[in-house]
Amino acid sequence: MSILAYNGSAVIAMKGKDCVAIASDLRFGIQGQTVSTNFEKIFEMGPHLYIGLPGLTTDTFTVLNKLKFRANMFELKEDRKIAPDVFLSMVSNLLYERRFGPFFVEPIIAGLKPKTFEPFIASMDLLGCPNKPEDFVVAGTASEQLYGMCEALWEPDLSPEDLFETISQALVNACDRDALSGWGASVYIIEKDKVTHRRIKTRMD
Amino acid sequence: MGSERYSFSLTTFSPSGKLVQIEYALAAVAAGAPSIGIRASNGVVLATENKYKSILYEEHTIQKVEMITKHIGMVYSGMGPDYRLLVKRARKMAQQYQLVYGEPIPTAQLVQRVAMVMQEYTQSGGVRPFGVSLLIAGWDGDKPSLFQCDPSGAYFAWKATAMGKNFVTGKTFLEKRYSETLELDDAVHTAILTLKENFEGQMTSDNIEVGVCDDQGFRVLDPTTVKDYLANIP
Amino acid sequence: MALEALLGVKESFVHPFAAEEEGKGDFVINSFNNQLQLSLPPLANPLSSRTNFESEECGRKIKINFDHGTTTLGFVYKNGVILAVDSRATGGQYIGSQSMKKIIEIHKYLVGTMAGGAADCVYWDRVLAKQCRLYELRNKSRISTAAASKLMANMAFSYKGMGLSMGMMIAGYDKNGPSLYYVDSEGQRTKGKVYSVGSGSVYAFGVLDSGYSFDLEDNDAYELARRSIYHATYRDSYSGGIIRVYHMKSTGWEVISQQDCLELYHKYKDDKPLLSQ
Repeated sequence: MSILAYNGSAVIAMKGKDCVAIASDLRFGIQGQTVSTNFEKIFEMGPHLYIGLPGLTTDTFTVLNKLKFRANMFELKEDRKIAPDVFLSMVSNLLYERRFGPFFVEPIIAGLKPKTFEPFIASMDLLGCPNKPEDFVVAGTASEQLYGMCEALWEPDLSPEDLFETISQALVNACDRDALSGWGASVYIIEKDKVTHRRIKTRMD
Repeated sequence: MGSERYSFSLTTFSPSGKLVQIEYALAAVAAGAPSIGIRASNGVVLATENKYKSILYEEHTIQKVEMITKHIGMVYSGMGPDYRLLVKRARKMAQQYQLVYGEPIPTAQLVQRVAMVMQEYTQSGGVRPFGVSLLIAGWDGDKPSLFQCDPSGAYFAWKATAMGKNFVTGKTFLEKRYSETLELDDAVHTAILTLKENFEGQMTSDNIEVGVCDDQGFRVLDPTTVKDYLANIP
Repeated sequence: MALEALLGVKESFVHPFAAEEEGKGDFVINSFNNQLQLSLPPLANPLSSRTNFESEECGRKIKINFDHGTTTLGFVYKNGVILAVDSRATGGQYIGSQSMKKIIEIHKYLVGTMAGGAADCVYWDRVLAKQCRLYELRNKSRISTAAASKLMANMAFSYKGMGLSMGMMIAGYDKNGPSLYYVDSEGQRTKGKVYSVGSGSVYAFGVLDSGYSFDLEDNDAYELARRSIYHATYRDSYSGGIIRVYHMKSTGWEVISQQDCLELYHKYKDDKPLLSQ
């Protein structure tokens, strides 16, 4: 079993019209054993910037803390909030620094660009190779299932409400076919003037 | 003796609270060739004297106005070799920033980092401060900026300024000429005029250098363009 | 033949009984005639560890993720035997099915539960069912639970070490009353009162042992079985789906309930504050 699948996770982000969504499951387990069912894997890094860190939980926290440090230093040094694309480079560099002993996380970034409020999503492998598609990004133990759901459900220019419905259905149904993720879900819809956070009920087995 | 007693090590303060080596560095700057910077509404101009001491000199081989990145340029007053080291460092820092953050370095960031290098040379052992003051011109997305960076590591944001020989008269001249609504073309004109104020001998497109920075990025004006500007000057 | 001889392959590798029954040199790969004659691995020694196909020639692991995770339980009490199972089938971490039938009705008075390799369990339960029917025809009486479970144990034993994976409970009601046996692919066979088998068994035991008594009333027994499996599905990733409860009575087996885990989650969550968060 891959170390990336040791704790189990599912994270997904999608673009909509003038909005983005990012969602994750809430399970924290140790291989087959479910330990906790309210474990958030998405973290706020700025007013319109969120990062999901699925993978090995211990590395989730290490990477999160290192990123918070770097993002805070950036904000202090440059006297401005960090933009999603700049943050992506930062994460990518952080991960590649450990090319030969990587952190076992596959980050997903979702946010709106400053000023233009243009939607931004990106994903990375555990070595930091960035990927910036126009539709959706997925990661975690349920990534194959998530890809299948997204390919079927996603369409361009979804409104915030429709985007919420789409991302939730994609996540919930993907988790239902993955033994290591699920047990509740958490969804963020990011719009220009508000961010909506919702918890979703899912199967609990 | 006086201040010499406290100049055996540049990291030692004199009783009056001065680091005299830095003062000497500033003196080297004040003795250097004059350079002018003006921030216009739609760009920045850097101008400097580049006089050759002999007619045997091959002009336009040694440049004083240098590009750091696409949108940032630099000029100096003081010692040439010291300047070239700083240019090299500044270019490296700009590229490093681009590598880490995936976007061009903001001018203020570059200035801060160059200033940090200059400060380091006022506090380290076995080194001397840089004998240069820098003028750094940049364009950040939608606005121009102009900075001056001194040997001490101090840096200032200017609307317009002059450094090097006769900088006091240069500044006085600029104070009279500067206006907030100045456009880049007029600013180039004003910069050349300011240089001309204290210019000894005939000013030609071969003995001054002009660089401009606007939404197109930074570029050094070629001699023919400079010639056109000079033609409009009485 | 010559090539095989050169390679040191025995002719009998096709199946162990071929040489005796069909005559030397006949290659008969036919489990239709005798279900106990499965073709063996094409190796000089079928019992070598390579039979399990865990790694390839360079020693790297081969990924054969056949269905594994399960929670099953069974217990004997005053009114018979209760069996309860989940319905999830996983291949690695992938959920292949949420509606597996893990209780196999061998006949009216005999049922088996399956854990481990799904194919192994289903196949050998089917063979057992045939043997039991034959027994009934020959002896004009039903096979005892003890005898049936022993048939299964013997069949499993004959393939010991060749990679079969089974952990089954066989519950029956015969003239000696209700009984419950545990049989596995290692050849073990034990009679007992309370069993739980599968990856979720540890969690099921936690609930089962704390509530079990021989004198349980029917409904309490059903509820205990259901809860035990439910809590296993909550904690064990490889268990889930539908929870099925069977009761083996003197009149034969009966399905008590088949409920989705989600339904039970909502039913039980109010009882246990920790879960409702």
